[in-house]
Amino acid sequence: MIEVENLTKIYVDSPVVDRLSFFVPEGQILGFLGPNGAGKTTAMRMMTGFLPATSGEVVVAGINLDADPVGLRRKIGYLPENVPLYPELRVEEYLRFRADVEGVPRAEFPGRLDYVIERCMLSDVSRQVIGTLSKGFRQRVGLAGALIHEPPVLILDEPTVGLDPNQIIKVRELITELGQDHTVVLSTHILPEVEQVCERVFIIDNGRIVADGTPDALRTRLIGNPVVRVEVKGADVDAVESLGRLPGVVAAEGRTNGVFLVEHLSDADPREAVFHLAVERGWVLIGLTPEQATLEDVFVRLTTADEAASMAREV
Amino acid sequence: MKAFSAVVRRELIAYFSSPLAYIVMAAFLLLQGALFALIIGYLSQPGQSSLSILQAFFGGTIFFWFFLVVAPLITMRLVAEERRSGTIEVLLTSPVTEAQVIAGKFSAALAFYLALWLPTVVYVLMIKSQASVDWGAVAASYLGVALIGALFVSLGLFASTLTRNQIIAAVLAFTGLIILFGMPLLRGLLISSSGFGAVIDHADLWQHMADYSKGIVDTRYVAYELSLTCLFLFLSTKSLELNKWR
Repeated sequence: MIEVENLTKIYVDSPVVDRLSFFVPEGQILGFLGPNGAGKTTAMRMMTGFLPATSGEVVVAGINLDADPVGLRRKIGYLPENVPLYPELRVEEYLRFRADVEGVPRAEFPGRLDYVIERCMLSDVSRQVIGTLSKGFRQRVGLAGALIHEPPVLILDEPTVGLDPNQIIKVRELITELGQDHTVVLSTHILPEVEQVCERVFIIDNGRIVADGTPDALRTRLIGNPVVRVEVKGADVDAVESLGRLPGVVAAEGRTNGVFLVEHLSDADPREAVFHLAVERGWVLIGLTPEQATLEDVFVRLTTADEAASMAREV
Repeated sequence: MKAFSAVVRRELIAYFSSPLAYIVMAAFLLLQGALFALIIGYLSQPGQSSLSILQAFFGGTIFFWFFLVVAPLITMRLVAEERRSGTIEVLLTSPVTEAQVIAGKFSAALAFYLALWLPTVVYVLMIKSQASVDWGAVAASYLGVALIGALFVSLGLFASTLTRNQIIAAVLAFTGLIILFGMPLLRGLLISSSGFGAVIDHADLWQHMADYSKGIVDTRYVAYELSLTCLFLFLSTKSLELNKWR
């Protein structure tokens, strides 16, 4: 649905976006994850045609940006960072305005308006002036505006920034729902958001994709083997060695207060063996939990300069 | 066309939802009303019949002094505010062209400007009830008001595309208008060459307005105002396109 080939933006001398190439199939929810200033917004602005690229190609729904910029814009619903709206308009007036400039035929107005107002849960505020709305509602008005012309592709730049936790949950639910019948590209620097919403993640740093995969795959691939946290009372002195000898275990490490971290191959869960070992030795098993390595670790490792280079090679 | 009318409608809503529009309208009516009363008072003294009311009303400088200030106030918001708030990004990533955006904004600003003049038609009707009115001169006067207004608004619109700060846009527009209007007045001081001086003389908007108020519609004047308006609209469109590169 979206093809990007060697997309590059150079300001003065330094590239902000550096030879970005990727393909997004129809119906996928893709997350751009990266620290502030990584080039996420610049990349999105180039994909929507707001910012001309220094070089590279963008094709959305079979339409090349250079060949038919206006045609491509019809295929994209774009929500820029910070959700710019006209504060003096009422919600309904704004949506009508958007429908007009997006080229929705007048005959389809009532249907489209009802649809986006219902979808974005705006019916209570549709007569309100936008300037008086809370940030969460404004976000949904922005989304409704981006949806008004039934675009197959949605590009959302930091859609949950500045919202309170309840609003964030609502907006994320909405995006997940929209992902069922739209191809979505969203950017964020909030990691749990990516894990909850996205089917695929690009970690972007210095204008380049340093990692690409599902949140799960990224975790296992980049963090390494899964780890089980074992907590026992009355462990022997050689407990670390005994744990290390269990089948499928790569390494075991002792911590204070009877806590052990057992690293194992991803296809061999050692928890049963740990249990039997504890029974056999007479240890009291208090805890046995898989350690969830988070994307946060991946992110920090990838976006700290030295690590990034070596990681990118590994991938 | 739909996109154009949507832009016009949104701009008009923006005008009338801000207090600025009402303050400008009230100030304009107050000034014009006072001026009209003064002119009537002056002309009703015996032996003062050489000047027509229209000439005094439209041909005087009050028109310019007021609009040199008001035109930038009308136009400063047009593009600068969209750039500041970021709504320009939404507008320019929708399937509309820069030219449609500029045309819509220009039309809305011009419509607001013309709306300011609408109540002055009452003065004409008042004169008609007491004396005869030269309708040709009235039409020519309002034509001049519209043409010079279009020029002022297009210059202000161009200034608004240059910055994201409304105040800077207003100052730029004011400076541009002062140069446009003031240069012919200062001709004697500035230019000695008679060839270029003649060119400057043709650009004297005060003279244009004085002639329009006598009922003289000189096509050279019309061409001057229309072509400059088109030039500024063209520059505004280009400026909006260039903004993307920043």
